[in-house]
Amino acid sequence: MAPCANIWRMTVVAPEHTAPAPAPADSDEPGDDDLVLADLLVEEISIDGMCGVY
Amino acid sequence: MPSYALHPQVGLRDERFGALAYHYGNRRLTFLNDDKLVAVVRSAADCHDVDIALAGAGVDEAQWPAYRLALARLADAGVLVARD
Repeated sequence: MAPCANIWRMTVVAPEHTAPAPAPADSDEPGDDDLVLADLLVEEISIDGMCGVY
Repeated sequence: MPSYALHPQVGLRDERFGALAYHYGNRRLTFLNDDKLVAVVRSAADCHDVDIALAGAGVDEAQWPAYRLALARLADAGVLVARD
């Protein structure tokens, strides 16, 4: 079994988020609201050093 | 627009908030906090253009830039691999 393969046994609780209103669709370039929404859509965490904790 | 596919070393587990992605290679955990984003990620490999996946998942077109940014971040994290 790979290190930390038991990650799937973890119970995960993510914070509740309220998505911001979408930015006007007059440009394909991401605006501030798009950056905020992208931050809410994807969150990364590192579990290096956590093996054996759970 | 690039197209994407789920990295072969990534496992995706559905959660109430969306899905949890675990990369068995770099051991990074990534939260996908939206069901539509999860649908895009799961269908991306079958679409030659990410916009087709976005439309298929029912993402509001006004939010496509944000979702494209989120997908690029998933690619940076190794969750997705880009296919040009």
